[in-house]
Amino acid sequence: MVLWMLMLAFAGLTAALGLDLWSHPAQRPSIPLVDASFLSNATARVSAADLVKSGGDTSGLECYTCHDKKETVKLTFDTNGGIVLPKEHIDIAGTNSEGAFMPMAHGRNDRNNNCFNCHNETNLETLQTRDGRELKITESPQLCGSCHGPTYRDWEAGVHGRTSGYWDRALGPIDRKVCTSCHNPHAPKFQPWKPAPRPHALHPVMAGVGQEEKPH
Amino acid sequence: MSEPVSRPNGHPSGAAGHEGMDRRSFLRTSAVLASGMAALAASLAPLRNLRDFPSMERFLQKHYKELTPPEMRKVLDRITREVETQYGLRPEVRDYKPMDGVEFVYCLNLTRCIGCRKCVHACVAENNQSRDPEIQYIRVLRMPHGSLDLEKSDPNYAPDTVPEKGFFYMPVQCQQCKKPPCVKVCPVRATWQQADGITVIDYDWCIGCRYCEAACPYFARRFNWTRPWIPKDRINLNMSYLGNRPRRQGVMEKCHFCIQRTRAGRYPACLEVCPAGARKFGNILDPESEVSYIMKNKRVFIQLKEEVGTSPRFFYYFDV
Repeated sequence: MVLWMLMLAFAGLTAALGLDLWSHPAQRPSIPLVDASFLSNATARVSAADLVKSGGDTSGLECYTCHDKKETVKLTFDTNGGIVLPKEHIDIAGTNSEGAFMPMAHGRNDRNNNCFNCHNETNLETLQTRDGRELKITESPQLCGSCHGPTYRDWEAGVHGRTSGYWDRALGPIDRKVCTSCHNPHAPKFQPWKPAPRPHALHPVMAGVGQEEKPH
Repeated sequence: MSEPVSRPNGHPSGAAGHEGMDRRSFLRTSAVLASGMAALAASLAPLRNLRDFPSMERFLQKHYKELTPPEMRKVLDRITREVETQYGLRPEVRDYKPMDGVEFVYCLNLTRCIGCRKCVHACVAENNQSRDPEIQYIRVLRMPHGSLDLEKSDPNYAPDTVPEKGFFYMPVQCQQCKKPPCVKVCPVRATWQQADGITVIDYDWCIGCRYCEAACPYFARRFNWTRPWIPKDRINLNMSYLGNRPRRQGVMEKCHFCIQRTRAGRYPACLEVCPAGARKFGNILDPESEVSYIMKNKRVFIQLKEEVGTSPRFFYYFDV
């Protein structure tokens, strides 16, 4: 009798195991591949120096296709002393920290709003420092460094800003980016970015972590 | 039934066992045995789905430190073959040795980090981590301003844009400790620290016990719970033995400062992709290097969890 029961139990077990009645792990939702834009080494923007180096379209740097070489440029200011941008240059306008329109979002309190603080009024295709040095449009670090000394010092040491290439200079060159590769000179504050997706949990229960929070 | 009953052939029924098994009990016993074997076989059936069974070559492979150069070449050839069969692409697998007079240090500028998580994904792409399930070496923690309390950190933030007001971001990855607790606990010495300060893992020696994962105070080690999956078009073919060659199920992995890049003189992938330039890397033994400049001139304020005495080679600092 016992043997018969044992045999039945074994037969039942065989059938159950054969039909795979249990041990079905929960199906995980598949994880989409991250967008390739998040893998790009590109800088936040393209500087004039990058553009010249890569042989791109530099027509935007040729001021005298519109301006007249003999005519001096007149700047207009509103009653508060803020600069009024001509419609041809409205693209340089930025926003302040509250998101309000700022013709010149460089420097606090609207004080750095004279184009010729940095641009050269006698040759619009060049830049000038306050101590009278004339610089090429690609030489932004020297220009920015004339005011932002400590940051320039860090940049020269390779500590501020983007680097790529070789840490070991004996094995290869280092690729340094200039100020305007990341900062818009007319609105230098780093702009907000869309972040890459958050980590996907292996376990479905864990996937709810952090979701109950209110959006900020 | 207590007194023996005499049968026509004269055998007492209870005495069968003494002279040999009768036909009926033999059949009965063998039927039970057969069904038992069938149940056993059915219970072992899932073994048919066992994949990645180690080749004899891998099974008999010596520990990394005991491999002679010709043996190492053979091992690299085997890995090349394995990758080729699995992905149909021919990788360049090398064994990068530490460089003389080099100790790597990583510095991360908390003032600059905007929390965009690009480093996380550049790392995944460079180091052939599994995409599904997802294995990531870097976790970016969002922390409220004015505190450094990891209990208040959140790695799952998902706003439309970063940085967010009132928060700063702290990416955490393997800190390449000078006194790594993960190395101490490994029962088979599958993980150890090399001369340039990188703690490496021999994926062929790891038994997957996860002691190191438990020992690490930074949650830097990741375990391959299932078979890793990488799409063919996202494989990085520049591979190193102790670095980014594809792992198999059941082994640990972690950040190794991109051995295949940094030991060839290049910057790690997470550094090159950082749009804010918050990440700095170099040789601390070189007084002219960027990291030496940071140590001398910046407010290098923490080694993460300094009090546990692991002495990381990963430093967080502020501008100002």
